[in-house]
Amino acid sequence: MTFWLTVAGMVAVTFGSRFAGLSLSAPLPPFWLRFLHFVPIAVFAALVTPSLAGERGEGEIRIAAAALAALAAWRWKNLGLAIGVGLAAFWLLRIPFS
Amino acid sequence: MESGRQRFARGFAAMVPLWVGVVPFGLAYAVTARGAGLSVVETQALSVLVFAGSAQVSAVGLFGRGAAGLEIVLTTFLLNVRHVLYGLSLGRTVPLDRRRRPVAAYFLTDEAFGVVAAGRESSFGFLLGAELSLFVTWNLATLAGALLGGAIPDPERIGVDVVFPLAFLALLVPLLRTRPELAVAVTAGISAWLTARWLPGGIPVLAAGVGGSLLGAWLTRHSPPDTELHLDDAAREVA
Repeated sequence: MTFWLTVAGMVAVTFGSRFAGLSLSAPLPPFWLRFLHFVPIAVFAALVTPSLAGERGEGEIRIAAAALAALAAWRWKNLGLAIGVGLAAFWLLRIPFS
Repeated sequence: MESGRQRFARGFAAMVPLWVGVVPFGLAYAVTARGAGLSVVETQALSVLVFAGSAQVSAVGLFGRGAAGLEIVLTTFLLNVRHVLYGLSLGRTVPLDRRRRPVAAYFLTDEAFGVVAAGRESSFGFLLGAELSLFVTWNLATLAGALLGGAIPDPERIGVDVVFPLAFLALLVPLLRTRPELAVAVTAGISAWLTARWLPGGIPVLAAGVGGSLLGAWLTRHSPPDTELHLDDAAREVA
């Protein structure tokens, strides 16, 4: 029973967070419109850096693979291709170090 | 005239490259949950009802240690409150009526926000397609992991957890066209990296997201906001 009560609480705070932002539809002043333009940029960068190096001491090859993926993303602007390049580089670089 | 089904299909397909990271992560979550003493039904229920990977993994760890329910709910809140920011951003670009808003909110994730905010499309159909692409994959992986148990390799050992930073980096790079945009990305990236050592998962993202966006809005205070935003959107359509 405690399990399901806890799950209900988890659903409430998770759905609440997801719904709250979407529900705010009042017109915004220019400063906050510019703020929102930068949200994806700041958030994506913040999602990359903490998990980039990983926790298995493979930081160098993961960062090298990410640099190649970034180059591919810049050149082709294609998500699948960039991930493919990054993963291939990561696994290839891993061979001599494992 | 294009149908909603086609937009949905494009959104669904846009997430396929991420499956290679989602599947092992879902398997690992389920194995962890079963190891922490949750039943198959309980393991699956979290994936269906909460649908938030890092929060689920943290929660089952806490369940396993016999933590109080309140502690688990608070941790979940701290990990997921960043979604407020995603909603604020998406609410500006994706047209959502009263009926669609809760649906879009229920299935919202970092990744679905990512592909929509990075740009090509901002329809409800595309967003829902991207969201459900992840929901279905995550839940099937959870089910497989819960049933197969320990026979599954650790995703960090085969290294596929690197897919997530790779994906967000690949979404980020094409968005960096002006000096303020680059400055915001560098500042947010560095501050999230520094604070991630001390704070639980979602908070560095929220703090760097808010801080970085404030910096960006301040740096562009002398540029005409409205035309700039429209030009950006037009540039994205072309790209």
